[in-house]
Amino acid sequence: MIEILVQFLESSMLNNWILSTAWFWPSLEIIHFVGLSLLLGSMLIIDVRLAGFVKAMNIMATHRLLPLAGVGFFINLITGMLFFVGDPARYVVNIGFQIKMLLILIAGLNALWFALKISPVIMNWDPYGDTPFLAKLIAYISLISWVGVLLLGRLIPYVGSG
Amino acid sequence: MFEWLEYSILSIWVGESLWGYPIMLSFHVVGLAIVVGIFTVFNFRILGFFESIEYTAFVEFFKLAWFGLLLNASSGFALFSSQATIFVNNIPFLVKISAILLGSILAYFIQSRLRAFAYEWDVKISRPSRKDIWFARTSLILWVSAIFGGRLIAYYL
Repeated sequence: MIEILVQFLESSMLNNWILSTAWFWPSLEIIHFVGLSLLLGSMLIIDVRLAGFVKAMNIMATHRLLPLAGVGFFINLITGMLFFVGDPARYVVNIGFQIKMLLILIAGLNALWFALKISPVIMNWDPYGDTPFLAKLIAYISLISWVGVLLLGRLIPYVGSG
Repeated sequence: MFEWLEYSILSIWVGESLWGYPIMLSFHVVGLAIVVGIFTVFNFRILGFFESIEYTAFVEFFKLAWFGLLLNASSGFALFSSQATIFVNNIPFLVKISAILLGSILAYFIQSRLRAFAYEWDVKISRPSRKDIWFARTSLILWVSAIFGGRLIAYYL
């Protein structure tokens, strides 16, 4: 199954083009790094407030930053998929890549938890007050998983395959 | 001087141990995201986005950004020392270091203006001047240039 996908991608025109265009891979890396800064920067501000710190920031303003986090995520989803298409055989067997994907899944489910349990009630909280336990828990899971995504992503070229 | 640096205990650990270099690189990307992320959100705020975020809150977030910069100065120094003689002749590296130095000095000035005016801007007695807007634009360009240079270092070795 995985082998079929790898073979399919490796014989694709896009794969051929990515590998034969010298400036494309470094350009993707630059864009991927700008994307991760937007994503982590906005998540950091959101999560720090959600964890109960920086009470000078009204809690509702965290919602205003979600689109920026979304933009950062989208940029990195696209550039990340292009990396994958460019070198699928290397990524599928890479333990760093696998853990990174798992952490993104955890961060995603955690964001869903936020959307279901925090978003609907956040307007009832004191905008300049402390936050409930569940908000703090979600904030810390988010911070740990996103920082983990960065660490593992950077280790991909150095960790073994399988 | 740079040759001497390459033979220090730190640089030998980073350069020759199996995990020294990748561990430092991993810290370096987290620090980068903290620094560039927070300053970018603030610069966008000055340029008219996220208007519901209080300027006074950014006084606190700047402390976090300086922590990120310290993390990256340390991890960056460790990475640099392992191949000092190569890095000093690498054009993307020189672009990156210049952008970071200028970006940090500018961030210091941005922070002093923020500390002086955050409350006034929040209660709308005054608002960010043309100077603040130019600082924000320049800051965005410098941090993106730092990423640009940093990512290209490996392609010019």
